[in-house]
Amino acid sequence: MPKLRTSAALWLSVLALIVLVLPLAVPSHFAIDIFIRVLLFAFIGVAWNLMGGYAKQLSLGHAAYFGLGAYTSTILLIRFGVSPWIGMLAGGVVAMLASLPIGAVCFRLRGPYFAIATIATAQVLMLLFLKFRDFAWGAEGTTMPNLGNSPLMMQFDAKAAYYYIALVMLAIGLAITYRIERSRMGYYLVAVGEDEDAAEAIGVNALRIKRNTYLISAFLTALAGTFYVQYIYFIDPNTVFGFNISVEVALVSIVGGIGTLWGPVVGTVLLEATSALLQSWLGSSHGGVQLTVYSLILIAVILWRPSGLLGVLTDAYARVVHAGPVRAREASLDG
Amino acid sequence: MLATVAQAVVNGLLIGGIYALVSIGVTLIFGVVKVVNFAQGEFVMIGMYISYFLATRFGIDPLASLVVTMPTLFVVGVLLQQFLIRRVLALGDMPQIFLTFALSLLLLNVMLLLFTADYRTVQTPYTETAIHLGAVYVPVAKLIAFVVAMLLSLALWLFLRGTDLGKAMRAAAQNRDVAMLMGINPDRVFCVAVGVALALAGAAGSLLMPFYPAYPMVGQVFVLMAFVAVVLGTLGNVTGALIASLMMGVAESLGIQFVGADSGLIVVFLMLLLTLAFRPSGLFGGWTR
Amino acid sequence: MLARCAREKPPSMAEALVVHDLSKRFGGLRAVQDLSFSVNEGETVALIGPNGAGKTTSFNLITGYHRPDAGSVFAFGRELVGLRPHDICAHGLARTFQVARPFGRMTVLANVMTGAFLRDRKPEVARERAREAMDFTGLSAKEHIPARDLTTIDQRRLELARALATQPRLLLLDEVMAGLNPAEIDQAVALVGKLSTRGLTIVIVEHVMRAIMAVARHIVVLDHGQKIAEGNPREVVADEQVIRAYLGTGYVHSAAPGDTQC
Repeated sequence: MPKLRTSAALWLSVLALIVLVLPLAVPSHFAIDIFIRVLLFAFIGVAWNLMGGYAKQLSLGHAAYFGLGAYTSTILLIRFGVSPWIGMLAGGVVAMLASLPIGAVCFRLRGPYFAIATIATAQVLMLLFLKFRDFAWGAEGTTMPNLGNSPLMMQFDAKAAYYYIALVMLAIGLAITYRIERSRMGYYLVAVGEDEDAAEAIGVNALRIKRNTYLISAFLTALAGTFYVQYIYFIDPNTVFGFNISVEVALVSIVGGIGTLWGPVVGTVLLEATSALLQSWLGSSHGGVQLTVYSLILIAVILWRPSGLLGVLTDAYARVVHAGPVRAREASLDG
Repeated sequence: MLATVAQAVVNGLLIGGIYALVSIGVTLIFGVVKVVNFAQGEFVMIGMYISYFLATRFGIDPLASLVVTMPTLFVVGVLLQQFLIRRVLALGDMPQIFLTFALSLLLLNVMLLLFTADYRTVQTPYTETAIHLGAVYVPVAKLIAFVVAMLLSLALWLFLRGTDLGKAMRAAAQNRDVAMLMGINPDRVFCVAVGVALALAGAAGSLLMPFYPAYPMVGQVFVLMAFVAVVLGTLGNVTGALIASLMMGVAESLGIQFVGADSGLIVVFLMLLLTLAFRPSGLFGGWTR
Repeated sequence: MLARCAREKPPSMAEALVVHDLSKRFGGLRAVQDLSFSVNEGETVALIGPNGAGKTTSFNLITGYHRPDAGSVFAFGRELVGLRPHDICAHGLARTFQVARPFGRMTVLANVMTGAFLRDRKPEVARERAREAMDFTGLSAKEHIPARDLTTIDQRRLELARALATQPRLLLLDEVMAGLNPAEIDQAVALVGKLSTRGLTIVIVEHVMRAIMAVARHIVVLDHGQKIAEGNPREVVADEQVIRAYLGTGYVHSAAPGDTQC
């Protein structure tokens, strides 16, 4: 991150404080729900961004890992009474294991064909889980057993609790991304994303980098899956393997700023805010309105600012602060 | 037993013809413009809705409405290329993917808003009729669709081989820079390519209407099939897309017949993943590294 | 007709690179046929030939971007055929590309650091090594410029710096002098000379004769995928086959006996 000037540091502290006390200051359930969704999807967006933003492997099937995480923890909870906290980690491991064969097949493909293959994998998983009645409740899905307020089983009466968990998850995701950005892996990631052949020529094992990044991305996404079903007390294949999840997690990074640390956060705030506004204007959510608006925003971003909004904001900030145009830095990989 | 297999094969071929129209469009756009059109299925859907409205408002048979859907979608294709796709051509893979992807989302959801998710069907005199070839039951509507699809494919093939513009398209597909040096105007060629591809999608929609319901999400099924066929048939290869589509129609049909009613998609996805795993450049692929 | 003189090989010198019977076809096109040559450690060898002769393909075969249909490539005692490019780089072979391929999003420093990371995991150390390589190629002042904003010639320098950061033992340079003006060529030649003095083995593909004459002690000539001549610059320039390949039959005239010297 660029060296923080005192004024910037001050603003950031204020922002952090606001974020920390938000659920206590704003008791509205509707509002907290939005905040939680923002945090959650920003988190998954950050996980997606490692693959899609830095390494330019556009996965449109991340719901596969979301769903695997959700189902693993739910099966462990309902069939074996295992706490979702442990189930969450187990789900992460399952997702990681799944990412290995999926990656092995998909990484041979470049560009759009990688995307198509990822869509296919998420769809296959959804179809499989729709069929699995004995093991995983098939198409009807299931609800979580109501255990009242049991923190050890990831169930809370207070919505604020979910908010803070999601906040911690996002913080962890950002921290991991930050560390990777600055390490050898980060440089290799961007290099592979920019020009895989040229990267190989200077000793970068592209396949291994992609595989390792995918492992991390899948793991984090699976954690989010567990959290989500614990939060909404419900799981079914369409909800957790749904294409709209895959779309949203990709979208937030593209709109917010591909391959940047805060891009997914910016994107999620924008998209969820738009969504919330629409809901309040139109009453209940009409099928199709949200995605229509999302797609319009996406088209606008692509035509006008393909690298995402963060570039615009950085430019604007720089212009205001330095009183002169500064080249937008998409990632502060300047050594 | 043999009769069952034969029936499944015929069913598969018939629907494979429709898949072919969609996948040829995708592979044409990819081969010439080098862009993957994620929205191809939505244009099929739009073709269906156009035919639906012409049928219910004016009593025009869907087959007759081909005369409307094809030119309309051709123009749409030209506009699409000229005003949207062209703007992102220089930007690389990602913006292109997301543009057509966003377009797909947009079209689907706008139609959802306008027409709800209700299924809309059209009844024609031949919707329920069938002919019998031996023990095999062949629905007339599907047969007509198949025949027209094959005729259109043939027409396209002749166009690409025989006409100057068609050859220009093939040249641009093989090597854009050299084609430009030869005086081929890429803009014009791209517009025609996208126009033709969308016209074929529209045709698929009209042909489907007699025996398939129209609803906003219908495109998604067909486009997924189309993509698999395009990969299987080798990217950019029109004949390959045709053959692969027919193969996939048959595979899906056999899957439904012998594995289970909802196994069609799984069979197809498995075909995709197997292809990607063992022969990523497709059945007709050239040399790889 | 191969070189009339046998390759001199002082017994103390090891062979850095031995290419043996390398062949590759692409469909109907035989890009490289039965190519064999060797490079001694510390030597600078030039690979020349008309366009389409198979020079870049040879590089791609040596560095693992294509798998040869037949033949072997030995470098520093290890068979390279079948290895992936990154393994080959780790083994000590670095190459530049004919058209520079910088990582546009990253700054110059970050680009070179990516190369340096091969030998040193820690960012601070990699940064140091990267700065050394940049200093050598004259890019120090441009550290923080995004690579996509560089001029073409600076992008070439970046290619070289990045390759050098991997601490290679053998460097394969693909037409680094193309499009340079005479002053720039002299600079480039000096750079290559410095690298050679440091003990680096270099194989250079070039069209610029002046540069070749200045840096290469040994030249291998390709035409249509085959080696048609090999030897020191003087011999090669006089070789009939070479002249025929470049200029056509009309320019060949037989040498008088006793003209060539070893």
